[in-house]
Amino acid sequence: MFFVKSLEHRIDLHPSFFNSEATRYIEQKLFQDVEGTNTGTMMIIAVIGIDEISEPKVAPGTGFAQFNVAYRAVVWRPFRGEVVDGEVSSVVNNGFFVDVGGLSVFVSKAMIPPSMKYNAEDSTPNFSDAEGMTVQRNSQVRLRIKGIRGELGQMFAIGSIREDYLGTLMQ
Amino acid sequence: MRLYTPDSLLYPITVTKLLRRPGDDIEQNTPLFTYHYQSVVSVWDKDQREDVEQTATLYADFESEFEGSVLSLDIQRGQVLTARTYVGEIDEPCKHEVQYGGICANCGKDMTTVQYNSTARGTDRATVNTVHGHTQLLVSQEQASRADEEAKRRLLDARKLSLVVDLDQTIIHATVDPTVAEWQRDPSNPNYDAVKDVEAFQLVDDGPGARGCWYYIKLRPGLEDFLETISQFYELHIYTMGTRAYAQNIAKIIDPQHKIFGERILSRDESGSMTAKNLKRLFPVDTKMVVIIDDRGDVWHWSPNLLKVSPYDFFVGIGDINSSFLPKRPELEAKPVKSSKTEQQPAKEVSGDAPKAEPSGAEGKAANGEVSAVDRMVSMAGKQDEGSIKEKAEEQDEQLNAQLQDRPLLQKQKILDAAEEEAKTSPAVEAAGDLLAENGEDGQDSSSAADQHPSKYRHNLLQDDDTELHYLGQSLRNIHTAYFDEYQRKTAGAKGGRIADLRPGPAKKRSLDEFDHIPDAAVIVASMKQRVLAGVHLVFSGVVPLGVDIQTHDTAIWAKSFGASISENITKRTTHVIASPERRTAKVRQAAKKKGRIAIVSQAWLYACFTQWRRVDEEPYRIHSVAPANGGHVEDAEELARFMPSEERADSSPTEEEVPDYWGDINDELADFLGSEADDDDDEDGGSGGGGGESDGESDGGGAGAGSRLQKRKREAAARTSSLTQMAKAPSSHASTPAAATTTAADGDVDDGVDEAATAAEAAEEEEDDSLEAMLAAEMERQSDVE
Repeated sequence: MFFVKSLEHRIDLHPSFFNSEATRYIEQKLFQDVEGTNTGTMMIIAVIGIDEISEPKVAPGTGFAQFNVAYRAVVWRPFRGEVVDGEVSSVVNNGFFVDVGGLSVFVSKAMIPPSMKYNAEDSTPNFSDAEGMTVQRNSQVRLRIKGIRGELGQMFAIGSIREDYLGTLMQ
Repeated sequence: MRLYTPDSLLYPITVTKLLRRPGDDIEQNTPLFTYHYQSVVSVWDKDQREDVEQTATLYADFESEFEGSVLSLDIQRGQVLTARTYVGEIDEPCKHEVQYGGICANCGKDMTTVQYNSTARGTDRATVNTVHGHTQLLVSQEQASRADEEAKRRLLDARKLSLVVDLDQTIIHATVDPTVAEWQRDPSNPNYDAVKDVEAFQLVDDGPGARGCWYYIKLRPGLEDFLETISQFYELHIYTMGTRAYAQNIAKIIDPQHKIFGERILSRDESGSMTAKNLKRLFPVDTKMVVIIDDRGDVWHWSPNLLKVSPYDFFVGIGDINSSFLPKRPELEAKPVKSSKTEQQPAKEVSGDAPKAEPSGAEGKAANGEVSAVDRMVSMAGKQDEGSIKEKAEEQDEQLNAQLQDRPLLQKQKILDAAEEEAKTSPAVEAAGDLLAENGEDGQDSSSAADQHPSKYRHNLLQDDDTELHYLGQSLRNIHTAYFDEYQRKTAGAKGGRIADLRPGPAKKRSLDEFDHIPDAAVIVASMKQRVLAGVHLVFSGVVPLGVDIQTHDTAIWAKSFGASISENITKRTTHVIASPERRTAKVRQAAKKKGRIAIVSQAWLYACFTQWRRVDEEPYRIHSVAPANGGHVEDAEELARFMPSEERADSSPTEEEVPDYWGDINDELADFLGSEADDDDDEDGGSGGGGGESDGESDGGGAGAGSRLQKRKREAAARTSSLTQMAKAPSSHASTPAAATTTAADGDVDDGVDEAATAAEAAEEEEDDSLEAMLAAEMERQSDVE
């Protein structure tokens, strides 16, 4: 789910940047530092506004100035139980991987309807059933997130298509 | 899951009450029974007004670390447990057999969490990595064997085997040298033909400075057909030490339809090891249906499933761009391939020219070739920690950078061009002519040959003449046929046996039996290979660097896998000596004595056998075949031949037997002539000549020894100062030798240059290897002739 969230970030500025352009540097550095990062629970998609740049403090012993920047950003946080859309990145014998934005979700065989069978003979490995539903590389899939685990910088999730209205999306 | 009491409890404990019965559903950490135990505690004693230690009976609950339904409880009320005890069996709803990034893929539970009463980590339940492109997906051993069984059934139905294919130097050769692109754009370049079908791609995140680096990929000749045919018999997997992006780009080039390799690509990002390749990574359960092709045996620890191919070395001297992650390659190999460059062959015969042409190939090898055994061991042991991986990645970056900057291909081509220029321009031709003249008729042939193709002489550095894949395809097809013949035979036999037993068994069981009868590809490959060089006993000479144990050398191991046996020295059983064409070693000489029985061949023969999987005819690979039995003499004769003066002298020169007499006379005459002054000289002469006395006979003998040596010296000197002597000789045709000329000089004109003659003779007799003095002698001779 997407949110606009107020966040804070500390920026250390080298003394050589102490000039009239300092604010611009700080903004640039903020974009560089936070956009596209993964905190382990959410992904920061884009900074939409800077609320406040604090008065700088000189860090003792280094000469660097520390700014606390309060900003608003669009973040994406997946939740357990959330239904999301994604693109299949690869299919293996015990499931398939779906890219949901920057999150890689694995859908295991147990989470795939039993009617769908794994085929490796075809040119691309896929899961398909008699009704013509096929999950293969690059198909669009709707799934429910069953579990999420985050580490600093990366998230893993387990998904399921074993429910009504889940599975490949008709193009 | 079987539940035990942990070791950490304060035994003995006594069960006081059972809280659950079989059949109950429990959550994690639900109490199963209560118990009491004895412990020492400190209690505040009011009377003594201090803490005292007291034994107390304490009560506690035993909680289940698993969730699920209780199948059985093996604990009774009142039972005393004295050590780790089996409590009961819990049937778990999810066994967490497939885990992705630390979460169970079937129930979504975080497996990395550890409870206070956990005895084993949840992540330990799934440890096997079976998927090519993802390291985060792990499955349990059971799950892996199930998947393996499925895969096997599928393969057997399709009558296919698995083939693991290495990329670099096995089916392609890659370089980042931008020279390739320049050559591609320039049709007049001698290498244009070879590089015109080189493919290129750019990796942005990879390479030095992450600024995007172009990779140039040359496919091994015949690769397309090879993959096409082989994919009918094998399911192909890529296993490379390149990065994932690199591997995928290559796959796009060699398999644009995505049909042959599909998703089965394993790169170093997922390999799990930076220094070795392991079949267990791809086939964790068993490797009976797997064949590997790779140009490096060591990274596979010479796995029996391996078909080692000779490395494809198209971009000369580049090597494997991803090899910084692998243990250093011991030298040789590929070198013999270079000898097949037909255009260089005539040049080689001109002895002086050969070293000039060779370094281009040898250079690159020497750079990464001089690796001692110890270094290799160290690098094989390979530290695997993060630091070393980073280090190696940096090392690779550096190498790529160096390649980008140094442009080794361009440099090599320049060297070649330079050598060629040199061969064309007049002074070099003159020099070659001199050499040719000395070589006599033999040289005449090669000179005409060289004259005939001066235009063809324009070397192209890159040769596109590799035939490895052709033979490899054949071998792989043979293996496939042999494998399924064996399978047919075994299953037929097994079925008969089962019918005889009248034991139908459940379907599942039968299928398991079926897999027992699968032949092992490793065994089949080994037995096929063993036949190739069976009965061949090899001795290596001059091809393996000193200090390397021959038995563990790459080529030796390779040869052994083909059934050859290898020994250090020539024995009665030796059939082949593998030698280098440049050096005639003692072993070669020894082998030459037993001509007919022992074939002396170049390494190329061995590689031809390896490539073609048959004992190739030795004839085209024989070397040193003209070597006479007594090798020691040969070298001298050769050396002498190089210094042999021109023909006219050879015609008039006396036989060696005649010389001593002359020299005896000369000495005597000199002695007489110089009187007391010459006595000292004579003494010296005697000493050096080995005689020592003043008497005629002895001095004659001494003179004889010194004379023949002197003769040789003189000849050498004459060769060195050829222009001078030749000038001198033209008029003095009457004088048979320089020595004789000296005599005449000394005889005829006393006042002119007697001293000089004396000094000259003396110097020569003292065997001073000094051309200056020789020139002096020649000069003197000339003077005398003029007069």
